[in-house]
Amino acid sequence: MRAYLIFALKRLLQLAVVVFAGVSAAFVVAHFSPISPIETIIGRVAGQSSFSPTAVESLRQTLTELFGYDQPLTQQYLNFWSRFVRGDLGPSLIAFPTPAMELVMRALPWTVGLLTVAIIMAWLLGNILGGLAGYYQNNRPLKAFGIVAIGIQPIPYYIIAFLLVIIFGYLWPVLPISGGFAMAVRPAWSFDFIFSVLHHAILPALSLVLAGIGTWFLGMRALVSNIVTEDYVTYAELGGVNRGTIVMGYVTRNALIPQLTALAMALGGIFSGTIITEQVFSYPGLGTLLIRAVNGGDTGLVLAVSCVSVIAVASAIFIIDLLHPLLDPRVKVG
Amino acid sequence: MSALLHVDGVSKYFAMGGLLSRTQTAAVRDANFRLEQGTPEIFTIVGESGSGKTTLARMILGLETPTEGEIRYKGNPISGLSFGAARRAFMTDVQPVFQNPFEAFNPLKRVDRYIESTAKVFRGITARADLDAAMDEALASVGLSLAEVRGRYPHELSGGQLQRAAIARALVCKPKVLIADEPVSMVDASLRMAIVNLLRTLRDDLGVSVIYITHDLATAYYISDRIMIMQKGRVVEMGAARQVLDDPQHPYSRLLKASVLSVTDAGQGNLEPARDLMEASRTALEHADASRLVEQGEGRLVRMAG
Repeated sequence: MRAYLIFALKRLLQLAVVVFAGVSAAFVVAHFSPISPIETIIGRVAGQSSFSPTAVESLRQTLTELFGYDQPLTQQYLNFWSRFVRGDLGPSLIAFPTPAMELVMRALPWTVGLLTVAIIMAWLLGNILGGLAGYYQNNRPLKAFGIVAIGIQPIPYYIIAFLLVIIFGYLWPVLPISGGFAMAVRPAWSFDFIFSVLHHAILPALSLVLAGIGTWFLGMRALVSNIVTEDYVTYAELGGVNRGTIVMGYVTRNALIPQLTALAMALGGIFSGTIITEQVFSYPGLGTLLIRAVNGGDTGLVLAVSCVSVIAVASAIFIIDLLHPLLDPRVKVG
Repeated sequence: MSALLHVDGVSKYFAMGGLLSRTQTAAVRDANFRLEQGTPEIFTIVGESGSGKTTLARMILGLETPTEGEIRYKGNPISGLSFGAARRAFMTDVQPVFQNPFEAFNPLKRVDRYIESTAKVFRGITARADLDAAMDEALASVGLSLAEVRGRYPHELSGGQLQRAAIARALVCKPKVLIADEPVSMVDASLRMAIVNLLRTLRDDLGVSVIYITHDLATAYYISDRIMIMQKGRVVEMGAARQVLDDPQHPYSRLLKASVLSVTDAGQGNLEPARDLMEASRTALEHADASRLVEQGEGRLVRMAG
C-alpha cells in the first residue's frame, strides 16, 4: 500500500509537469498569433462609428493595459500563471467582457458529458462483443457483427455523423439534429430539461459510438483469439476451472490491459475529434466554442479552451495510470 | 491385463491452405499403442519437430478429435468423455505438463491459486487446512514447498520452479497418467535432470504412467521403459527403450541416434557423421506409403518396405 501511494505521488508529479508544459506551450502559441485582440476590438468598435484618431489611440492604450501587453513577455508569462491558478484567463473577445473561463465552464459539461458517455459506451460494447467473438469464434451472430464492424470502422466519424443527420433528421425525422436541448425548455434540474438533453445527445453520441466501436471490437477480438491459444488457458480448461472464470479471469483480464492503455490514448485523440462532431450537430460544447473563438480571432478564449483540454486529457490518463497496477501485478509500483 | 489407455489406429489430418488450394496434411498416421493397468511405465515418444508428437498428446487429452481411429481410456472412448462428470473424472486421471513453463500460468494470478482450484475441483477438498496439506504434498513431491510458492505471481518464479509447479498442479489430482510434452526443453540444463528424475519417481513411488514426449534421446534412454519413434506422423520403430536405442533398425532411428553429440569426440567438430543416414532416412520417407510395421519379437516393431 505504501509503495502504491509513492507511485501515485510520482504520477501526480508527472501530471503537474505535463500540465505545466502543455499550458506554457499554449501560451506561447497564443502569444505569437498574428491576430491581435486589441486591433480586433478597435476595428469592431471604430467600424461602427467615427472616432477621432486620439480617441482610438487612448482606446488602444486602455486595452493594452487591460490585456497587459505593455509589459515584457516574461512578466506577461508570470502574470498569466498567477491568474491561471486563480482560474482567471482574462476577458473573452467574442462575448466581451464575459471572462473566457466562464464561457469555457459553460461549455465544458456538455463536451465532458457527451464524450464520457460515448467513449465508455463504445469501449465497453466493443470490448465485450470483441471478447466474446474472440472466445466463441464459430458463433454466427458475432461473426456477422465482425463483418459489419470491419465495414464501419474505416468510415470517418464525421461522415457517420452526416449519415445520421440525413437518416434521422430528414428521411425519418424522429430525433433532433442540432443544439444541446430544445429552445422551449428552460435549463433547470427538471425532468423536461434532462429528457431534452438526453434526446438531443442521442445522435452525436451515436456517431461517436459507431465510429469508435469497430476499432475496439477488432482489437479485442484479435487479442482474445491470441490469448485463448496460450497454454495457461488450456491448462485452466484441463484443470477444471469453470468456464466463466476462464472467460473473465484468464482471457478478458489479460486482454484488457493493452485495451486500457489504448483507451487512455484514445481519450487524448477524441478530445480534438469531437470538434467536428459538435460542429455538425451545433452542440454547445468546447468544440463549437473553440471554432467560434478561432473564427473571431479570440486568442484568450482559444488559450482557455486549450488549457482546459490539456488538464482534462492529462487527468484522464493519470486516472487510468493509477488503475494499471491494480490490474496487472507485473507493473512495478516502487 | 486390461488397457489403461489404448490408442487404436489413430490418424489426424489437418486442412491447410486457403480457399483455392486446400490440401490435407497428415499430422499423425495410424498410431497404435497401449498402456496397461497396474504396470506404471514411462512411455517415450521421440521425433523431430512436426513429427506429430504434440498432436498425438493433444488427442489423448481430448483437445483434438482424431480423424480416424479411437482412443480409449479404461475401455471407454474418450470422445464420449467430453462433458460433465465423465469429462471431470477423465481429467482427474489424465493430466498434462506442457513445454513452456512461462506460458503455463496466467500472469495475473498467483501460482498457488491455480493449484488450489485444481485441488478443489478434482479432489473435492474444501477445508482450508486440507487444501494446504494437499498442495504442500504435491509441491513437496516436486521439491518445492507451499511456503515458497504461496502468494507468488508467475513472473516472480524461475522457469525451473514454474515447470515444477506445473507438474505439482497435475499431481494434485493424483492422476494415473501424466502426459509430459517436452517438459524439459525450455528448462536450464542444470535443472533438466531434476525434472527427469522426478518423472521416474512418479512412476516408481506414485504409480503414475508417464507419456514422455521429447526429442532428447539421452534423457529418453535414461528413463524410458518403452519408446516409440515417429517420423512425419508415422511410427517408424517401437519397443523396449534400451533395445531400440542400443540397436536402432529404421534409418530414421539410426539418424536420430547418430545426431546425438558424442561425448568422446565432442570437441573435434565431428558434426556430420550421418550424411549417408540422412539419405537413407529420406529414401525411407519417400517410400513410406508402401511400408508397414513388422513385428520383430518381444513387442518390437520396425517399419519396413513392403
